[in-house]
Amino acid sequence: MGRFSDKDVLLDIEDLRIEGYSDETWVPIIKGVDLKLHRGEVMGLIGESGAGKSTIGAAAMGYARDGTRISGGSIEFDGMELTTASEGERRALRGSRIAYVAQSAAASFNPAHKIIDQHTEAPVHYRIKKRMEAQEDAKELYERLRLPNPQEIGFRYPHQVSGGQLQRAMTAMAMSCRPDLIIFDEPTTALDVTTQIEVLAAIRDIVDQFNTAAIYITHDLAVVAQMADTIKVLLKGEEVEQASTDRMLSDPQEDYTKSLWAVRSFKRPQKARPTDGTKPIISVRGVDASYTGGDKVLDDVSFDIYPGMTVAVVGESGSGKSTTARVITGLLPPSKGDVLLNGEPLPPKYTNRTRDQLRQAQMIYQMADTALNPKVRIREIIGRPAQFYSGLKGPALKQRVDELLDLIELEPSKYYNRYPPELSGGQKQRIGIARALAAEPDFIICDEVTSALDQLVAEGILKLLDRLQRELNLAYMFITHDLATVRSIADEVVVMQNGRVVEQGPKDQMFTPPHHPYTDLLLSSVPEMDPNWLTTLLEERGVDNIGEAGSETKDGSEKTQSA
Amino acid sequence: MSVFVIGYYTILIAASCLAVYFERRRVFMLLFSLTLVSFVAGIIGGVGALRTITTLAAVLSLAAGVSYAFKEFLVQIARPGLARELRTAPLTAAFGMFVIFTYAIAGIFAPWIAPHGQAEVISTSFAPPDANMLLGADQLGRDIFSRIIYGARNTVGLALAATILAFVMGAFAGLLAAVKGGWFDQFMGRFADVIMSVPSLIFALLMLSIFGTNLFVIVVVVAVIYSPRVFRLTRAVAGNVVVMDYIEAAKLRGEGDWYLIRREILPNSTAPLVAEFGLEFCFVFLLIAGLSFLGLGIQPPTADWGSMVRENATLISFGDVTPLIPAAAIALLTVAVNFVVDWMLFRSSGLKG
Repeated sequence: MGRFSDKDVLLDIEDLRIEGYSDETWVPIIKGVDLKLHRGEVMGLIGESGAGKSTIGAAAMGYARDGTRISGGSIEFDGMELTTASEGERRALRGSRIAYVAQSAAASFNPAHKIIDQHTEAPVHYRIKKRMEAQEDAKELYERLRLPNPQEIGFRYPHQVSGGQLQRAMTAMAMSCRPDLIIFDEPTTALDVTTQIEVLAAIRDIVDQFNTAAIYITHDLAVVAQMADTIKVLLKGEEVEQASTDRMLSDPQEDYTKSLWAVRSFKRPQKARPTDGTKPIISVRGVDASYTGGDKVLDDVSFDIYPGMTVAVVGESGSGKSTTARVITGLLPPSKGDVLLNGEPLPPKYTNRTRDQLRQAQMIYQMADTALNPKVRIREIIGRPAQFYSGLKGPALKQRVDELLDLIELEPSKYYNRYPPELSGGQKQRIGIARALAAEPDFIICDEVTSALDQLVAEGILKLLDRLQRELNLAYMFITHDLATVRSIADEVVVMQNGRVVEQGPKDQMFTPPHHPYTDLLLSSVPEMDPNWLTTLLEERGVDNIGEAGSETKDGSEKTQSA
Repeated sequence: MSVFVIGYYTILIAASCLAVYFERRRVFMLLFSLTLVSFVAGIIGGVGALRTITTLAAVLSLAAGVSYAFKEFLVQIARPGLARELRTAPLTAAFGMFVIFTYAIAGIFAPWIAPHGQAEVISTSFAPPDANMLLGADQLGRDIFSRIIYGARNTVGLALAATILAFVMGAFAGLLAAVKGGWFDQFMGRFADVIMSVPSLIFALLMLSIFGTNLFVIVVVVAVIYSPRVFRLTRAVAGNVVVMDYIEAAKLRGEGDWYLIRREILPNSTAPLVAEFGLEFCFVFLLIAGLSFLGLGIQPPTADWGSMVRENATLISFGDVTPLIPAAAIALLTVAVNFVVDWMLFRSSGLKG
C-alpha cells in the first residue's frame, strides 16, 4: 500500500454498523467495518452473498436501502460526514462525485430513453456541462471504452445494444461527471467469460486514466485479482482480513480466506465411455431447430451421453446450449433429426411422451428462485413427483421425502414444512435437485446450476451432484459457460458456437492443445488468480481483439483465431 | 372573546410547541398551519367557523381512534402470521375494515337490529324523525332507519353474490386461457372484448327487460357484465406465472391443466385477484344501486339503498337530507372497501419488501 499516502484519503469509514428490519426487530447486518480508500485506489470487496458487500457499497454513498438503517459509525467522504449530512447534501454527491455501476446494466438502464440521453442527464442536472458538451464527452468516453461505433452507439436504445456493451456504456455514464469514487457492484457477474474480459479491460483502463478511486464488489476472486490494489474479505458483516492484492493472493492469513482460495480444487476422476456396447442413454442425432419462423438456432447438433457419465455442454450465451436442452426435453420439437432415449426414438413433443419417458429425463434449473413455486411447501415440491410417478401416499410418501431430503443433506424435520423463499440460494438449488431425484431418473439436465451461486456454495452443489452420480449411476448433461466447473466435474465436453457443435471429446483431450480456435478463445478467457493475467492476455491478443469484439463479426473471429 | 375561543387557541399553540419540543416536524407543521388557518377562519366566520373546525377535528380523531382500537383488537385475535401483517396496516385500512365489519353485522342481524320491518307502514308519509323513528318515515310511512339496515342485507348481499359469480367465471376462464394458449386463448379474449364493448348499463337494461327482474337474473346479468374484466386480469397475472420454470417443470412431469391451475398458478395469483375483488365489488355495487334507482333492480317493497334514494328524492327540494343517507351509506362502503383494497394492493405489489 506504499502507493497511497494518508493525505490522500478519500473515503474513510469507521466502525460502520448497519441494521436490517425483519420479523419486527432490527438485526445487525454490518457489524463494525472499517474501510479507508485513497484517491486512485481500487479496493476489492469479496465475500459470499449475505456478507454485506453491496450494503457497504451503498453505505459508501451514504445510502441505506429500504428496510435497513445505518445505526452507528461514521462515513467520511472527502472531509464530509455522510451519516449526519442531510438528504439533500448526500443527493448532491451521488452521480456527480460518487457514481454507481450496477450488476445488471440491462435492468438499470431505462428502456424508454436513448443511452446518451441517460448519460447526459447527470452532468446537465448538476450544471457541469451543457447538453451538447456532455454528448461530445460521452462519445469520447465511448471511444475510450472501446465501444464499437462510438459516434453513433449512444443514440440507440438500451435493447439495441448487447449486454457487454451496455455494461461499458454504464461505466461511461458513471464517468460522465468525472466522479472521485465509483462503486462497481458485480459489474461482470452476469456476462460471459469472453465478454467479461472486455468489460474488465475497459473498466481498468478508464479508472487508471482518470485516477478514480473505486470499490469493486464481486464474489469472483480471479476477477478481483485483476482489478484491485487492495482486497478486503468479508464474512457475515465482519471484516476477515485486508491486504494488498499481491499479499492477499500469495499469503492469506485467515482460514476463511484460505478456504476461498482453495475453492475449485475439487476435481473428480474422469470416466471413459463404456466399451461393452452399452447404448447411450441419450443420443442427439443431427438435430436442427428454430423458434417459430426464425432462423436456425441449432444446426446439425449430434452427441451421445452414456449412463453414469457427465457431458458438459459449453459455449457463450446464444450458442444454443439451452435450446439443445429444450429439444431433449421436448419443449421445442426439432425441425430435423431426433433424440433417442436408450436407443428408442422419443416423440418430438413432450405432450406425446409417456409418463415413463418423461420420468427418465429430469431437469435442474439455473435460477432456483423461479424453478421452485414460492407458494408451495417443500414437502409438496419434492413429494409431488414421487406421488405422481410412483403413486406413493401417506406415510410412504413422507418417508420418501425424508429420504430425499437426507440425500441432499438437508435436515428433513427442519425443512419439511418450509416455503422456498425462506431458504438460501444453495438450499433452494438442493431442493431443485431433490425434485429431479424424486422421479428416480437416469438422466438429468443441469442448466447452469451453479452460475447463480457463490463459489463455496457452488462447490458444495458440485460435490453433491458427484456423490449422487456415483450412488445412483446418473448421467448428467451439464450446461455451463464456466470452464472451471467443466474442469471439476465433466467426463466429456461438447463445445457449441452459433448453434453448431464445434468440438467434442473427452475432457483431458479438450483441455490440452491443440484446440479448435473457439475453444481456445473460451479457455483463455477464464480469469486466473494471477494478478497479471489480464495484462498478459491483452498483450497477447492485442487491445482491439479482445472478447466480444473479437468474436462478434466474422472477420473479427478470424483475427482472434490467428492471434 | 369567549372562553371557547381562548381555550381553542391555547390548546392549538400549546400542542404545536410540544410537537416542536419533541421534534415531531410533521405534527408541528400540521398543528401550526391549522392555527394560522383558524386565525383567518375565525376573523371571517366568527366563533361558528371555529366550532365547525373543532367538530370536524373531533370526528376525524374519533374515526382514527376507533380505527386504531379496532386494528389492535384484530391483531389480538388473529393468528400470529396474520397479526404481523395486520400490524403493518395503515389506519385507513383499519377504518375500512371497521366499516365493513359494521355493515356485515348490520346485514346479518338486520331483523334483530331494525326496530321495524322493511315493508311495515307505521306512520304517515314523510313523517319527521321522532323517538320511535330515528330518521323519520319515507313516502309510504315506513321507517327509514329500519329500511337502511335491511338495505345493507339486500343490496350488499346481492352485490356480493354477483361479484363472487363474476370472479368464479372470469378467473376460471382466465386461468384456462393462460394455460391452454393458442386458439382457445384468442377465442376467450375476443369473446370478452365483445361483452366489454357493449356499455354495461345498456346491456343490463336490455337483459333485464328480456328476462324480467328477478334476483337470479340480476345476479347472472351483472356477473356476466363484470366477468370479462376479471378474465383479463387473471389471464395477465397467470400469463406471468405460466412462463416460470416451475410451471415448465410441472408440465414436463406430465401434469394436467387442472393441477397446474389449482396447485401451481392459483396460489401465485391470489393477491392481485383479492385486490381486484374489492374493486369490482364497488363497481358491481354501484351498478346494482344504479339499476335499482332506475327501477330495474331489486323490486319493492324490498328495501334497497338505490331505490330509497330515488323514492325520497323529492325531499331534497325541501332541504331535507334524508334521501342522502342511503347514498352516504353506499359512498361510505365504497370508500371503506377501497381503503382495504389499497392496502392489499400495496402488499401484493411487493413494496413492503
